[in-house]
Amino acid sequence: MAMVGNLSNEQAITAYRNALRARALDMKIISAQRQGIIGFHVPSQGQEIIQIAISMLSDKEDLIFSYYRDLAMLLQRGVPLSMIYDQLLSNSKDFQKGRQMPDHFSFKEFNFSTVQSPVGAHLPLTVGAAYAMRYSKKKGIVIATFGDGATSTSDFHAALSMASVFNLGVLFICENNGWAISVPTSKQTKADIYKKGAGYGIPGKRVDGNDLIASLAGLQEAFDYVRSGKGAYLVEAVTYRMGPHSTSDDPKKYRVDEITDGSENDPIRRLENLMLRMGVLDSASIQSMRAQAKEEIDRTFEERMSIPPTEPETIFDDVYENPSWIQEEERRDMNAPD
Amino acid sequence: MVQSLNGSIDMLMAEDEKVIVMGEDVGRDGGVFRVTDNLLNKYGDERVLDTPLNELAIIGMATGMAMYGLKPIAEIQFQDYIFPAFDQIVNNIAKIRYRTGGRFSVPLIIRTPYGGGVRGGLYHSQSGEAYFAHTAGLTVVTPSNPYDARGLLVAASRRNDPVIFLEPKRLYRAGKTEVPDGLFEVEIGKAARLREGDELSIITYGSMVPTVMSTVEKNGLNADVLDLRTILPMDVDAIITTARKTGRVIIVHEAPRTLGVGAEISALIAERAVDSLLAPIIRVTGYDIPYPYSHEEFYLPDEKRIMRAVDRVIKY
Repeated sequence: MAMVGNLSNEQAITAYRNALRARALDMKIISAQRQGIIGFHVPSQGQEIIQIAISMLSDKEDLIFSYYRDLAMLLQRGVPLSMIYDQLLSNSKDFQKGRQMPDHFSFKEFNFSTVQSPVGAHLPLTVGAAYAMRYSKKKGIVIATFGDGATSTSDFHAALSMASVFNLGVLFICENNGWAISVPTSKQTKADIYKKGAGYGIPGKRVDGNDLIASLAGLQEAFDYVRSGKGAYLVEAVTYRMGPHSTSDDPKKYRVDEITDGSENDPIRRLENLMLRMGVLDSASIQSMRAQAKEEIDRTFEERMSIPPTEPETIFDDVYENPSWIQEEERRDMNAPD
Repeated sequence: MVQSLNGSIDMLMAEDEKVIVMGEDVGRDGGVFRVTDNLLNKYGDERVLDTPLNELAIIGMATGMAMYGLKPIAEIQFQDYIFPAFDQIVNNIAKIRYRTGGRFSVPLIIRTPYGGGVRGGLYHSQSGEAYFAHTAGLTVVTPSNPYDARGLLVAASRRNDPVIFLEPKRLYRAGKTEVPDGLFEVEIGKAARLREGDELSIITYGSMVPTVMSTVEKNGLNADVLDLRTILPMDVDAIITTARKTGRVIIVHEAPRTLGVGAEISALIAERAVDSLLAPIIRVTGYDIPYPYSHEEFYLPDEKRIMRAVDRVIKY
């Protein structure tokens, strides 16, 4: 496990590589969306570093309830690119059988739960999962990520209330990227997000989510607290949504971009600069890592593109463990000859 | 019915330590209707959870428990108070199996008392079964007697999917039925034929069953009476069989008429057995108004309103 001050070169390079992969993947998906190959996308650009830090500190046994904007977290935790593409493309290898919009992942073998569109609705589930883990004496904690908009939902407050009363090991991490579609955080809340746990007896802190070392340092304290069995903790990771909310909106309507791809304040660039200064990387190795990331992203995309879609009649499966007469009748109706 | 349910939950908890009971006042108080009485003493506060007053939190937390290996039985104190949890029920509980391609399931029972007749006014009286029955992924049941209460609850607990378990609160302490000791199942999706008859069919469920039965007996009606027991998926075979047999169908439920369960039953008959009908299908239901506090006796379908419908279908 990484510790501030003794982050090995290898760990730093892996983190940087995954940040590059996440950025390249985001670009690739956006371009595929523009070509009509992928239906929709929620870009993670600008939030890669905090997401990578979360995965670096989480253990295999920890359950993660991520939200729809956590691509870099998946990659750092080891989810194969192929599995991510299969979901984005809704092909027949997609574990979810094409039932969900892109970015609504569930990777059970990596202990990623399941992502829904209604903002914040996963948060009450996290406390139940934490209860089940403690009751069954399983190792690990529950980690929940969400945006700043989610802190306005009833679900968020319901979850904090339950986590607090039952003293459950949930690490709540708000990736405050400044925007909920077009609404800035200042219009979402008057209070500081990290202080919102105080009313529930849940400690909180704010970390610079765009800086790997600061993120790791801040998160470490929170992870230690939750792992020690003291209860839940709320982290507000200040980050920045570089792109639009999704491929369906145009941020030019409501803001001027403060951080842009490759600029000095781009969190990936900040990590890059740090590593250059420390002598961990040089510009040649950076160039080659970028090229490698792009090559892998492009090649895997082509590979997964060739996988056929699911059979249409599978839409009637998994409504229940055993379908009722209603689904069976409708399945026959769909398959009826013209 | 309260005793039957209490004994059933007790036995389910004894049988499987993954069964957890949670809700408002379910522990120390034993539930406001005493359905969970004494369970806290017996099983301790790790298995019987008095929760904060937040229905969304109760249902959401129970969902997370169910996804990760436990079998929660969550109580919502009155069905009228379930709506803050409606997003969890419709968008999470009902869809988690589906959206994860069957890799997660939610074996959760949500118990909640519903219906009027207890002077409970707007917010202790509603019958909301149609809200839930409109959502694929849910199973909706309602017993009308202590025997079915146990059988359906046990059947619900054997499922690997969420069940909305609606308890007609007016019948909690009505009548005395012998319930066999031990656990047994009443098959979900199967109606009960309460009475054989040839002249007309009355299809009903839950809180209205005793009203229908006393009306039939008092007036010596030659009626085929169905107690649906399961609202979703409803027993289409039993419905069509009785409609074909008598050709005259009355549907009685306490919930409001518009887009209620009776509308679905009527449509199923119209689609599959219209050629057997000898009279229009008549619905006798609660009125399409908020549930009134005073004058609630006028809201609830009663003998007089049922007999008016009987006259209409017989004389048609």
